[in-house]
Amino acid sequence: MAARGQRFDLGPWGFVAPALLWTAAFFVAPFVVMAVVSLWERIGTDLVASWSFANYLKFFERGHFLEAMLNSLEVTVIVTVTSILLAYPFAWIIAEKVPPRLQRMALVLAILPFWTSYVVRSYSWLLVLANNGIINETLLSIGLIAEPLDLANSRTATVIGFVHFFVMLLTLTIYANLVQLSPNYRKAAADLGAGPLSTFWFVVLPLTLPGIMVGAFLTFVLCIGDYITPQVLGGNNELLMPQVIMLQIGRRADFPTASALAILLMIVVTIAYLGFARWIRLERA
Amino acid sequence: MNTAIKRLKLTGAVALSSLLAGVAAMPAANATEELNALVWCDHTDPALIEPFEKKFDVKVNLKEYEGTGSALAIVEQSQPGDWDVFVIDGVDVPRAIDADLLAPLPADELPLDDIFPELRLESSLMRDGKLYAVSEKFGYNTVSFNKTKVDAADMKDMTVLWSDAYKGRIAVYDYYLPVIGMVAVGLGKKTSELTADDLPEIKETLFKIKDNAKLVGEVVSSQTAIATGEVDILVGGGEWVTAGLSADKPELDWILPDQGGVRWSQSIGVFKDSKRKELATEFVKYIVSPEGQARLATSSCYWAMPANAKAGAELTDQQKAALRWDDQEAYLKNAQMYPAPDAELDAAMQDLWTEFLQH
Amino acid sequence: MTMRGTSWRTAASALYAVLVYGFIFLPVVVLVLFSFQDGRFPIPPFEGFSLRWYEAVLADSRLMEALANSIVVAVGSSLVAVLLGFLAAYGLARFALPAKGVQRALLTAPLTVSYLIIGMGLLITFNFIGFPKSLLAAGIGHVVINLPLCFAIIYSQMGDHQANIEKAARDLGASEWQVITLVTAPMLWPALFAAFFLSMTFSWDEFIISFLLTRFDVTLPVEIWSLLRSGLNPKTNAVGSLVFGISAVLVVVLELVVLRKGRRA
Repeated sequence: MAARGQRFDLGPWGFVAPALLWTAAFFVAPFVVMAVVSLWERIGTDLVASWSFANYLKFFERGHFLEAMLNSLEVTVIVTVTSILLAYPFAWIIAEKVPPRLQRMALVLAILPFWTSYVVRSYSWLLVLANNGIINETLLSIGLIAEPLDLANSRTATVIGFVHFFVMLLTLTIYANLVQLSPNYRKAAADLGAGPLSTFWFVVLPLTLPGIMVGAFLTFVLCIGDYITPQVLGGNNELLMPQVIMLQIGRRADFPTASALAILLMIVVTIAYLGFARWIRLERA
Repeated sequence: MNTAIKRLKLTGAVALSSLLAGVAAMPAANATEELNALVWCDHTDPALIEPFEKKFDVKVNLKEYEGTGSALAIVEQSQPGDWDVFVIDGVDVPRAIDADLLAPLPADELPLDDIFPELRLESSLMRDGKLYAVSEKFGYNTVSFNKTKVDAADMKDMTVLWSDAYKGRIAVYDYYLPVIGMVAVGLGKKTSELTADDLPEIKETLFKIKDNAKLVGEVVSSQTAIATGEVDILVGGGEWVTAGLSADKPELDWILPDQGGVRWSQSIGVFKDSKRKELATEFVKYIVSPEGQARLATSSCYWAMPANAKAGAELTDQQKAALRWDDQEAYLKNAQMYPAPDAELDAAMQDLWTEFLQH
Repeated sequence: MTMRGTSWRTAASALYAVLVYGFIFLPVVVLVLFSFQDGRFPIPPFEGFSLRWYEAVLADSRLMEALANSIVVAVGSSLVAVLLGFLAAYGLARFALPAKGVQRALLTAPLTVSYLIIGMGLLITFNFIGFPKSLLAAGIGHVVINLPLCFAIIYSQMGDHQANIEKAARDLGASEWQVITLVTAPMLWPALFAAFFLSMTFSWDEFIISFLLTRFDVTLPVEIWSLLRSGLNPKTNAVGSLVFGISAVLVVVLELVVLRKGRRA
């Protein structure tokens, strides 16, 4: 099998083609359809191929659409930053302080709640955060507060629900990064007289930054597109983009407007990707 | 090598398609006859559906929707004949008749004389002497409250909702039509005569309510909020929120304010393109029969009054008390129908509602 | 001094870890606790221990059907995703194909798009071509979101080391088909398994695509969602706890099996 001559055959394509075709048919094509439909309009109960940017204009003209995008961005940034700040020390403790033979168990334990149903988990947070939920009851009974805190049905609740999920995810990715670090780097730093803090700051952190950024981007994408958490925990006190998009679909079947909003959301994610891209590429290199 | 790849491709294709076929075939495997119904969530209670399924040896497939607009869109996106039974708001039946979706029902086989007179709705449900749908359940979108924390006398005046009196203790039910209708009634408007010109005033009032509101939620989050004491008042609530909880939470109550409230009513009909019209008609007959009515009135998603007055015999006293069976005469008089906007006004109202949520 | 500094740091680390574990487990503990609530509301006070909500879940035929549907969709879509991902990774890693970078980018692109948008695109497209909403439609969507993961995981594990062994097998007269099934796949077994397991997890818990693309036969998350919409109920806690219990046992068993394998090797 001196296969060198055959490499331009259709042969190798047989391996790649199924996946490429699947992606083309069920990912690229729907996206094109969505882009086309976003230029149409729903008038009454009819879909009219009006080929206009009316749905996009609506986004900028109507305050509540624009506000939804800003809310989404704010919540996503808060969630991403908070999750990293919480997860990094946690992953570091698992990687450094836990004896190696227990590390896997510590890690599995840290992500075990991941396997409760996502929908149920959000609902469960609602019960935890309610006025007579476990947090308020505890704080009241130890006399830390006199009145129950308004935690449920707010942006705070949405952020807590998100952070819970992403702390688990980021602990996993950051841990994977930390254990890949060769201990030689740290030894070298120590030999050169660096204390633990400066070793961390100048050696460990920069080396794990690409991994953090990959996790951060994943968090960003999953968070900004999620419907369940804000819908269950936010109490409709403000709307995020996925909720506005689902309102267009669920209540009025306005697919053109929903498509336009989805494409705008995708543009934002793409911009974010470009921002993260140099880190993500760095990791590959 | 080429043969190898061909074989590989073939095997892959066979494996893939048999797998997909298996997935596709699986749900159909255990079915006898099936009936597809487009419904509000109260019809999904197995206690309601199973007796019918057993009697006729049929599997009833239920798809719940939220709002006539999306129901019509679902129908539009389906193939003709996909659907058999349609549960739809009474005020929207003319829209469904206009769209030529419904088949005439055999009026003589239905207990029309037992339906509460206010619920017969001939002008909506009948056209050219033919009956296209029959009322099955009704209730009110008014005010639910916790009577240990809120003065019931206060709740008789709807305007208290947009004063500061109960700031931070209010939840609003997240469905645009009844709440907009209710606010319109509170402002002295007629729900049947609403136009786009009324919307600015309604919007202003809704925004004031939003400033007082702790949350705007669907059935479960509103219920959770009022049951847990998160809030004390639920705007847009009614027996459908509190009656089902009455056994466990007797402090929850509901009232029709002096200004009145909004009455909703569901009706049920058969799709014109249904391929199983006889069975579908049997289902309609079951739902409006006294037993069906009693089960529907107390179904798991929400309780509400049955349209068939004879269902009273099948309900317990506790259930009847929770439904305010004996107050119905007075309530029916003081309630207006759900708004029934045309498509354009409907879109404007939904935009208004999105702004309200975002306010 | 050094000793005290170290022990202080260890104590702080331990405290921090305990707090984070507490945060992570808080909703699960509450969920499970109130699934045993002997009353109508899954909120404090705890009124007593009862298994009635578990009975209610097991007696709920729609929930049980949804559970079966979820398993079918998760297993089916993961098998397809692993198969397609493996073939693509093999093709791209072992053959000189043009525009490899573009192909890789295309295959991993769905990772950067929200599930909601993927689901919506499929919904609109399926509407246009008249493809009915079904488990099959949801399964197709799940392959779209899991294929990039499977591809990336398997591709990253395809090293030169295996390429040499494959070459040796070919030199010994193995056909391409034999190489792939008897040499490559067994060598990549851990990666294939990881990809399959991850796909299963994502598909099993995926809500929005299933919600948009199914009609009567729904997956478990969608059924739980409608259960939630119909009222406050410890039954939701019970079904959530059941799902968690089964998954947790599965994860721990897999962990033990995989660990043992790793040690033996």
